[in-house]
This record gives sequence, C-alpha cells and structure tokens, in this order.
Amino acid sequence: MHEYENKLLAFLKDNGASSIEEMEAKLGIGNDAILWAIENLSKQGAIAVKRDAESGVWLTDEGKEDLEEFPEERLVKKLERSGNKWSVSEINDSIGLSWCKKNRWINIEGNMAVLTGEGLAVAKGSRQYAARMLLGRLNRAKAGEVTQIVSQNKDLVGTLSKRGLIGFRERSVVKSVSITKTGSDMLSSSPHDSGIGALTKEIIKSGEWKNKQFKRYDVNAPFEEVLPGRTHLLREFINFVRMVWLEMGFVEVSGPIIDSAFWNFDALFSPQDHPTREMQDTFFLSNPKQLTIDDLGVLERVRRMHTNAWKEEWSKELAQSAVLRTHTTSVSAHYMNKLAGAVNANYPLRFFSIGPVFRNENLDYKHLAEMRMCDGIIIGDDLTLSNLVYTLKSFYSRIGLDVKFRPSYFPFTEPSLEVFYYDKEHGDSIELAGSGMIRKEITKAMGINKKVLAWGLGLDRLLLSSKVCGLDSITVLYKNNVGWLRSRPNIKV
Amino acid sequence: MAIISFDIRDLRIQGVPQEKVLEAILGLGIEIEEKTSKELKLNITPNRPDLLDFTGLVRAIENFAGKRVPRENFYRIKNKPELTISVTEEVYTIRPYIAGMVVKNADLSGNMLKYLINFTDKFADTYGRRRKKLAIGIHSLNAIKGNITYTASGEGSFKPLNSTRPMSFSDIINGHDKGAAYRDTIPKNESGRTLYPYIADSEKTLALIPIINSDATKLSPKTRDLFIDITGTSKTTIRNAAALLACSFMYAGAGVYPVIVSYPMSKETTPALSYDEIKVSLKVADETLGIEAGRHNVITLANRMGYVASKYGSSVLFYVPPYRVDVLNDQDAIEDIAVAFGYDRIVPMPVKGIAEGLASEQYELEDGLASFMVGLGYSEAVNSMLTNEKLNFDSVMKKYEEESYVSVADAKTSSITMLRTSLLPGLLQNLAGSRAEKLPQRLFEIGRVFSLSKGKIKESVKLLVVSEHAKANFAEMRSVADSLLKYMGISYKVKPGESSANIEGRTASIVVGDEIMGRIGEVHPQVLENFGLEEPVVSLSLTLVKEVKY
Repeated sequence: MHEYENKLLAFLKDNGASSIEEMEAKLGIGNDAILWAIENLSKQGAIAVKRDAESGVWLTDEGKEDLEEFPEERLVKKLERSGNKWSVSEINDSIGLSWCKKNRWINIEGNMAVLTGEGLAVAKGSRQYAARMLLGRLNRAKAGEVTQIVSQNKDLVGTLSKRGLIGFRERSVVKSVSITKTGSDMLSSSPHDSGIGALTKEIIKSGEWKNKQFKRYDVNAPFEEVLPGRTHLLREFINFVRMVWLEMGFVEVSGPIIDSAFWNFDALFSPQDHPTREMQDTFFLSNPKQLTIDDLGVLERVRRMHTNAWKEEWSKELAQSAVLRTHTTSVSAHYMNKLAGAVNANYPLRFFSIGPVFRNENLDYKHLAEMRMCDGIIIGDDLTLSNLVYTLKSFYSRIGLDVKFRPSYFPFTEPSLEVFYYDKEHGDSIELAGSGMIRKEITKAMGINKKVLAWGLGLDRLLLSSKVCGLDSITVLYKNNVGWLRSRPNIKV
Repeated sequence: MAIISFDIRDLRIQGVPQEKVLEAILGLGIEIEEKTSKELKLNITPNRPDLLDFTGLVRAIENFAGKRVPRENFYRIKNKPELTISVTEEVYTIRPYIAGMVVKNADLSGNMLKYLINFTDKFADTYGRRRKKLAIGIHSLNAIKGNITYTASGEGSFKPLNSTRPMSFSDIINGHDKGAAYRDTIPKNESGRTLYPYIADSEKTLALIPIINSDATKLSPKTRDLFIDITGTSKTTIRNAAALLACSFMYAGAGVYPVIVSYPMSKETTPALSYDEIKVSLKVADETLGIEAGRHNVITLANRMGYVASKYGSSVLFYVPPYRVDVLNDQDAIEDIAVAFGYDRIVPMPVKGIAEGLASEQYELEDGLASFMVGLGYSEAVNSMLTNEKLNFDSVMKKYEEESYVSVADAKTSSITMLRTSLLPGLLQNLAGSRAEKLPQRLFEIGRVFSLSKGKIKESVKLLVVSEHAKANFAEMRSVADSLLKYMGISYKVKPGESSANIEGRTASIVVGDEIMGRIGEVHPQVLENFGLEEPVVSLSLTLVKEVKY
C-alpha cells in the first residue's frame, strides 16, 4: 500500500465519512494525490465513495487562446496605435468588431471606427475587461468554486458560452468517502513495521534501517509542480553577448540614455537639416527641452566640422535638444572624446556598450519604441577594413551566424558596411548590423588622431533567429507574462 | 531612406544581361525592397539622391557593369544661355534662390515622364524638406514666351495644372489639395504679410512656388523641350539638384542649355557643373581597406563607380562627376574603390596587439543581484522605460508635479508621454496580465528610473520585488529584504514608513546611515483594484544607485 493510501485509510478510520476538502486540509496531501489514492482504494473495495452530480465548466481551445487577450481587446489596441480610429472596411476581424460595438468601445462614424473613452481605457490597459477576467477565474477555479462563480455571473457566463469559449458538463464529483470492512482489514493487516516509510533522523541515527526494508513508492504517484524563478531572456542573451566581447578583449562601457542631439547626431556628422536624421525617428523631450554642452572645445570643433562639410548654418540650439538616444553609437562618440587626452593609452583600444535605445514609431508586432542595442569600437593606428571584417565575422560565428558584408551608408562611417546573413529557412537576407570606419572629420573633431572601426547591432531582433533563440515575436519580451517568464525559450548557442 | 519603384522592363539594359543588372544593383549597395515580375522596388540611402532618378540608376548600373566607361569632361555645358530669370527684391527676402535650365530633345515617352516627376517629388519631399528648402518645377518650353521673372506678391491668379478654371493664389492655398498639402511653405514677409512666390514669363504666371504649375505649361510624354526651375532657401541644395538633373539629361542624350539668374545684386549662370578633383594615395587606400589596392587596377575600379581617373605618381586622381554630391574627400573615393572591388573579397585579418577584456562593475553588480533573486524563487521582468502619467502616477495613487519628471514630446504612440519614475506600476501591470497563471507569482526588476530636480535629470538604478498570492504579507517581504541586504553587505535599520501605494501602518522604510534606501509594504487594495488584481501583493523597493554618473 502506498503511503498516501495508508494515510487516507487511517484518517477515514479515525474520522468516519469525510469530504475531500477535509482530507486535504488535515492530511497535508495535495488534491491530485488524494483523488489518485481514492481511485486506487476504491478499485480494491477498501473505501465506499458517495458521488454527486455537479455542473462543471471547462475552457474550449478557443477560450484558452483568449485568456491573454480577446479579439475585441486586440482591435481596440490596434485602433489606439493608429490614432484612435481605423477604416471599417480595413478591419477584417468581424468578431472583434461586433463586440467592440456591443461593448460601446467604438462608434462608427461614416466609414471610420472611432474609439470611445471606454474603448481607449481598455486599449491602454487602464480598464480591465470583465469577460476576460471571468474567463481567467473559471480557468483557475477549483471544482467546488465553479457553481458559485457561475451563479454570481449568470449573464456573462452565458455570453462566454455562446461565444464558444467555455463549455458545461454535468460531472460526478466525490461527495464523501468512508472506509469499508475490506479497508479496515487492509489497514490492520498492513504491517506497520514491515518497511520504512519516510526516512527520519532517528532511523538514520539508530541504525534501524540496517534491519528493515524500505517501503516501495509508486514512481507514478502525482507530484506538485515547482514554479521556477528565472532571469529574463534579455539578460541571458545580453550576458552571452557580453561574454563574447569580453573574451575578444573588449572593455565594457556605458553612456547616457537621455542625451543631447549633439552626441546622438551632430558629433556623428549627421547634418542638421537632412533626411539622414530621419533614418531614425527620434524621441525629443518636452521637459527638459535642452541639455547644455559644457565642453566648449568639442562644441566648436563639431560646429566647424559641419559648416565646412555642409556649407550650411549649424545651430547650437538644435544640437542641444534633449533626446532619448536612438543608438548606442552616442556612447562611442563620448568615448572617442574622452580619449582625446589619453596619451599613454595602450592602442589599439577596444570598447563595447550595451543598453536601451529608443525609436518614435507606431508600435506593432515588429516595432517597439524601446530596444536593446550593442555598439563597439576599436581605436588605433594600423586598422583596416580587413580588421573590421575579421572582428565582426568572429563575433557572429560565436553566436552561430555566418555573416556577409555589403555596401551601405551611415553618416558617421566611410567606408560603411552592412552586416547581414542569409536565412535559408525564409530565403531572405537579414540585416544584422551597421559598421564601418569612423569618418576622419569626426575623429578630428573628437580630438583623436587615430583610426576608429565601429559597429552597432540590434539585439532584440537577433532573438528571432532560430539559431540564436527562435523567438516568435519581440513584443513578448516586454510583456512579462509570468507563465512566459517561467517557461520561456532558452538561448541556444 | 527613400523607396522608389521602376518597371522591370525599363531596366532591360542593352548589352547588360538581366542577372548582371541585379548584380550591379546589389554590388552598389542598393537594397531591393521588393521584386515582382513587373516591378523593382529599391531602397536608396540618403547619400545617393542620384540613384532616385531613373537615368542615374541606369548610369550607375552601366558603369558598374563596365558597359559605359565615364568620359573625361562629359558633363560640360557648351551651349549658350537660352533664357534669363530676374529675381525681384520681394521674393529675395522670403525664398531667395533659384536655378533654371532649358532641356532640348528630352525623351519623356513611356514611363520616363512618370519617373522624372517621381524623382523631383521625392527629392523635394526629402532633401527639400517638404518643398520648404527646395522645390522643382518642370514646364513645356514651347508654352513659355520671353524671359522669366521670379517674384512674390500678395495675390495673383492663374489656371493651375489640370484645373478647368483660373484660381487666385489664396484660393489655391485654401481650396486646392496641393495648396493644402504645402501651405506651410508659404512665407510671411518681415511685416507679417503673406507673400506668394511665383514665376512668370512675359505674358503669364507659370507657377505658384512651391505649390503648383500652370496648366499652360503642362507636360506630356510627347514633350521634348523643357524649362526647369529649382527654387528654395538653400543655395547648396539647389545647386546639387540642378547638377543632378542636368547630368541625367545629358547622359540620356538631351541637350542642356544654361539660364542666367539675375539677382538684385549679382548674376550667375545655372546649372553650374564642375568636377571635383580628389587625390587618392594608394598607400592610404591600402591602409584603410587592407586589400593592397595598388595591385589592382584602381583606375578601372574608379571607372566602374562613375569616376574618370588617372594615375598621378603613387596616387590616383579621381574626377568626381557633378552629380555625386555625396563625395566630400578621399575617404568617400576609397569607399567606392572597396565597393567596386567587392566587399566579399576583403580578406578578414585579426587586429594586432594583445587586449584585455574588462566587464562593467555596475553590470556585474546587477547581474549578481539578479542571480540572488532567482535563487529566492523570483522571476525577472524587463519593462519599457517609456510610460504615461496615468500608469506611472495615478494607478499607484501618487501625486506629482510636472516639473518632477522627464516628459517626451510628440510620441507617435499616444500611451507614451514620459519616462518612468518608478518600477512598481510596470510590475503590477505584469501581474495583472498574468491572471491566468499559477500563484504564487513572484517578480523582480532591476532598472533605470528618471526624475527631474531643478531642471536637471537624475537617473537612478532601482530594484523592485513583488509577490502575489493568497497569503502575501509584510513578513514575507521583510525576510526577502533582510536576506538581500545581507547578501549586499549593507547594514540597515527598518523604521515605520509610508507610501501612497501601500497600506498605512504596513509600510516600512529601509534606512541605511541617515538615508531611506528602500521600502517594504503591502500594496493598497485600491491600487490592486486599479490594476484588476484579486490577490494580495507585497512589494519591496531598493535604490541601488542614487544617481548614475557618466
């Protein structure tokens, strides 16, 4: 007899007919384990089980899919991202649309679906959707709780059922259990001293175990699920990337997340009034609007760099606009400038930095406003494009990608190389990084008479590669659903 | 980046097989955005506006494939000026510069007219900053009588392109879709009066600048002779645009005739085409590229990128054609050597010298804490630093002043207005989004928060821990705090504290020295309700770095 069965029989003998809840509370055995023991014992005729019919609720596959988000919630979020409205003819989600109307989350104005205040609140997550909350409660509810939940939410339960998200069934539940004659016999004939149950300190110390046998466990007995604590996928990946750069002899540095346009653009030779600045949609700050550059030397050198090259006026005020950095290349600019006075440095010097960068974009499954990026530079005298190609090939081969190079354009490098790899699965070439040799106009303005090899790569998107992690979508990274955090994919390399 | 489409049939270039055309496009570093059986959509980088133009693209392909070798002084205008443009004082104070040219025997048949308009529109929208800095107008030369005047006035009227009736300038600005689109380019003069720039010939208005041309000078695919005006506020951009267009027409075999521009104080002839001469030392090229450039025929490589080149001692002289407005000095020429040579032929070579890697102390500290928290059974969350007042303050019942936090201007996503000042709302939102998951739910985040004090930005590093389950309480988090602070080697005291997000009397401050470095507390039921949370939550916050210095 298994330990659980033994305990249960002993309990019933002492307490008479009992409910599962009573046994659960007093025996310290989980619900699953009790049900398992009841089933075993009842097969042997050791217990009598009184059953009752109870209405049960179960989530359909569709219901399970909607636990995270209902179609109508998805739709209002989409509307919110596109300026709170959308052309009705372009909405191909009829379920979402009809529920949005029913819930008064949208108004139809002409051909446009326009969010109402209520709809906006749902889209922004400041209001919870009662239907989905109820679905979640039903999903988690224990057998005994279902009836109460159903009776308190009749209308909404009806709706969920009509939508095919939940189903009902009468099921027989265990009402009470009592011990039979057979059971009593089993219990009394079960030789209490015939084997060691739980191993205790006393048994070990007394040496009792030397003369006795151990009871055999049923290895298929039910078990409790352990909920693990885990680091975030981004940390695991960033740590991996850090390790690669550190192994390759790079020094890890960091720089301001909020910076002036000066360090984000001007110091990197991006003309003030030119489409190159629009290659990256920038978040400007409304408070503070300006960040003063105290180093007047570098300010003047950068001003001269611009007016000489572009023959147009250069505005200090524009340069001092406060921005959320659009790339970690700004950190590289800061470090070039910091090294200006370092006469005795042991060149070539190698730096890398990893951190958040921001793009003012409409959010969707492909675009996030905040991402993680990694920049690197090598500063020295005898550096060539061959060295850059070697360094980047070496880096990517360590994360399992065989990369190639093609010409491209970045305002701050000349020559410029784009790093890409050919994804055989999708027959598509995927851009991984921008790189090149920093323009000598820039090194001069930063005050270093050296060559600088530089590159910048987005980290989030690398996680989509099946060789790195095989993540389905990058938006999941910042949602932090607890279930996902517990069972998230691992870094493969 | 600008996307531009061409009919794939137009890119069948005589003497260049189709696969060589695609090879040249990729070799030049032009990204193919989309390729169908009919159309090729290309992504052109902002340094090469010449490739937005059909002729410019064909030229680059023909050069790269070696079909046409650039000829010395090909882009020299030998024709005599055909027209004069007089610039008046009125317009000179508001939209001062103009360049013009006359083109004869241009071929606008097939898709050519469409490509030309696409190019000028795209150029004016990007480099021309939505026509403010620069705009281009193209007219049928035959419809123009006499010389041109570029001027401005408070009102005027003409029949705009494709219109059935004349309209006044102000009607165009208010009633015509082009007028509405580019209304903001119309300047006011010093006294605040609206002045409309326009060009006219000896008889009539030719265009309201930079909005729309007159219907009288309308182009058709059969038009062969053109007058082109380029107006704006940046002389450099206008000169570049004029050079680009002139070179294109010349390459395609049309005749380009200059125009004299007569400003109030000076005169010039446009377009001004000149070759910059750049000396490229082979040694410098080698040292940059690591390809032993001297062993390859640099002159041929230069030709394939459109340059005329000649040997000059141990250097090569590059003559930069007038349309290559991006080539500033030898670095740009050296890059073009590499592009023609082929990036895939560059042999990887390791950097010489020993290097010692060194990790950031701050990162290591945070990483150690993360491992420790995982050991306590907590999972790590990473939330965005971008948030809004409602989530960051209101949802946790925190009062705030506008001057105390960093706010973001004009976000395309309306839910982004500021940078977070606290990690708590993000984690509570994570719990709220995880209601279907098993309890207990235990999360932590290590992250940056930002605040403003007297206009100065303060960036801090915080740790926040939350635990949600039926029995979550103060004592649980008190234990976590103790073990964490012991791990960090910090001696601390706990005193009664308060926080708007917590239940009064169930909040403690963690005091290190004389300073409050953290807080433990049971989250207030009103806050739980705000997030739709149904179980108790207890939280711990700890300041890891009070102010990050760079």
